Amino acid sequence: MEEMVMATLDLITASPHSSSSSSSSPTTDNNNNHPSSSSSSSSSSLCLSSISTRRTDLSTDLRLGLSLSPSHYSTPSREQRSSFDWPPVKSTLRCTLVEKSQISQFVKVYMEGIPIGRKLNLLAHHNYHALVKALANMFRTTILCPDSHQLPLISGNNVHVLTYEDQEGDWMMVGDVPWEMFLTSVKKLKITRADRC
Amino acid sequence: MECCNKRRMMKESPESNFMNRRGSSCFPDEVLERVIGMLKSRKDRSSVSLVCKEWYNAERWSRRNVFIGNCYSVSPEILTRRFPNIRSVTLKGKPRFSDFNLVPANWGADIHFWLVVFAEKYPFLEELRLKRMTVSDESLKFLARSFPNFKAISLQNCDGFSTDGLAAIAADCKNLTELDIQENVIDDKNDNWLTCFPESFTSLEVLNFSILHNDVNFDALEKLVTRCKSLKTLKLNKSITLEQLQRLLFRAPQLCELGTGSFSQELTTQQYSELESAFSNCKNLNTLSGLWVVTPQYLPVLYPACANLTFLNFSYAPLDSDDIAKLLVHCANIRRLWVVDTIEDKGLEAVGTHCPLLEELRVFPADPFAEGDARGVTDSGFIAVSQGCRNLHYVLYFCRHMTNAAVATVVQNCPDFTHFRLCIMNPGQPDYRTSEPMDEAFGAVVKTCSKLQRLAISGLLTDLTFEYIGKYAKNLETLSVAFAGSSDWGMQCVLEGCPKLRKLEIRDCPFGNAALLSGLEKYESMRSLWMSDCKVTMNGCRLLAKEMPRLNVEVIKEDGSDDSQAERVYVYRSVAGPRRDAPPFVLTL
Repeated sequence: MEEMVMATLDLITASPHSSSSSSSSPTTDNNNNHPSSSSSSSSSSLCLSSISTRRTDLSTDLRLGLSLSPSHYSTPSREQRSSFDWPPVKSTLRCTLVEKSQISQFVKVYMEGIPIGRKLNLLAHHNYHALVKALANMFRTTILCPDSHQLPLISGNNVHVLTYEDQEGDWMMVGDVPWEMFLTSVKKLKITRADRC
Repeated sequence: MECCNKRRMMKESPESNFMNRRGSSCFPDEVLERVIGMLKSRKDRSSVSLVCKEWYNAERWSRRNVFIGNCYSVSPEILTRRFPNIRSVTLKGKPRFSDFNLVPANWGADIHFWLVVFAEKYPFLEELRLKRMTVSDESLKFLARSFPNFKAISLQNCDGFSTDGLAAIAADCKNLTELDIQENVIDDKNDNWLTCFPESFTSLEVLNFSILHNDVNFDALEKLVTRCKSLKTLKLNKSITLEQLQRLLFRAPQLCELGTGSFSQELTTQQYSELESAFSNCKNLNTLSGLWVVTPQYLPVLYPACANLTFLNFSYAPLDSDDIAKLLVHCANIRRLWVVDTIEDKGLEAVGTHCPLLEELRVFPADPFAEGDARGVTDSGFIAVSQGCRNLHYVLYFCRHMTNAAVATVVQNCPDFTHFRLCIMNPGQPDYRTSEPMDEAFGAVVKTCSKLQRLAISGLLTDLTFEYIGKYAKNLETLSVAFAGSSDWGMQCVLEGCPKLRKLEIRDCPFGNAALLSGLEKYESMRSLWMSDCKVTMNGCRLLAKEMPRLNVEVIKEDGSDDSQAERVYVYRSVAGPRRDAPPFVLTL
């Protein structure tokens, strides 16, 4: 995860900052805040959102809990923080709006090695990334993003993957099928050690 | 004042007695206390207590309400020593950014020890209002047992309790008038807490359980509402159906504030007209909220009640522009409106057209994480509201992009803003027409709105924004900053330029030790400073703590983070010294 993060940083800082910063004082760190067009396409291969528009680049980063100040890219704990800290909408309000159809889909979630499980409403999240981030925060661990390709893994036992039990009783890796299809087939979630899969 | 001057002229010695003072025709203490007792405003009372010792004493004996903006700024012992006769306490706990998950769980702000001291010193306590505090069920049970006169409890953004705690309050607080549970993280265990109100209990005036997820015992609720004839505020949760709502309204037509349950259920024609007449019977309704899950076809039942509404809170009801427009036609008296951005600019135009008396507008995002062509509100909706609603003085506006020109137009139309909170949801988003930073937008705000007390900024911002704020925002008390600024100079401008600054909360900005230390002289006149994910180091914080011993300088450490960085810093003045209950991840320097 760390190297992926560092790579993202390289992409963002490597691209020339957009001509928009015509005004006033030299914007040093603000360059990182510029959604720069050249970084957007390559970032998609690094577990960021596949929609690579200029504007969404940053919100994607933030959803992964990445800070925009370079010094913080190296702290794994920053990523583990829930994606729900920006924009500043209270979680009660956010989740309520998502639940506005009054349908919720609570599933049990277990983490390997912990006998007591949790419950999570899948419909309170829009996609795999949000789900993974919420779980990473709930269980205070690193969960690898489902649609990342080859990742340099952090060695050690603090890295997990997310699996689910489907309607046929089989245990599958989360992330292979489209989100909506996943919602119809998931029965339970389990966070397993990465080196077990 | 005159009596004090006279006393000074007589060169009163420390042993001078009461008779001597009476002889000089000063007010006796009882009278002074009576007069000062009539002061309600906290600021006035503060000023009065500084005049002289007699006035200080008269003020402290006559004080009945106390407001503590930061629970760690004072201890319960110090509080109870100074104010012996308190009946109502308001306490705020965690820093505001805890609403957005920036403060770890178990950080603190637990009410329990306060309650233990209050049970001894304020046995006649009647009201407790808490915001962002941790409250356990044990605490609620303790409260219910310890204060026989207890009347009102209001919990906002609190956590740590469940409906078991509510059951204890219901069962044991015989004189309860207010039970107000807002936006809390609450464990919704048993649905029978409402049955714990005894049959003889009739004093309830305010009941708000809108945040609970589960069903409540409707039978118990209906009986409660029926026998509490003074009920003025009733805010239901989404388990309550339209049919049940109609029955409750039938029982309580005197309601002033109503939070509906779910506004969607298959209604027969009969039920629909019953609901409509229930609403038209509520002649005193001035506030409407709730509307969880709205079926827009049913909104017309509200129309008869709309004419008197002054506050409409639709922040949980994602209506579209047509629905809101049709409703607002009937709401000419609205002063405060909270909506979701699904109404889009067209809905805001309707606001501008139909609600000329509007003073406060809050627009929340339906889908904060949406990508691509997400809709919502924009600069043109903002302008439309400002054109129609010239009395607007409070705005909270979430949008995806904005222009400098639009903001300048808005404040030109409405120069009386006291609260201006603009959240451009993409961090570092420039003016989308000119691609320039949004400095000039906030420059216009602070130059034009001389009464501005609270400001939240967003978008691509350089130090220039902060220069403007420091130069013009002379009445600013609260400033929220995220992803902004270019250098330490920005924060310095604010700290040096805003004389009334009380709360400064900053996240993800390039402000480091120089900025932090530039406020050395300032922090004691402020309630608190929050800085997270900036460039402050532990050494900077240690230096601040060393220079200013009356400040608590706390760093929240994360696991595995760089030891020299201070990722989350919370600085506040306190007469209580360092926290005695700090968890291991909070370092007091």
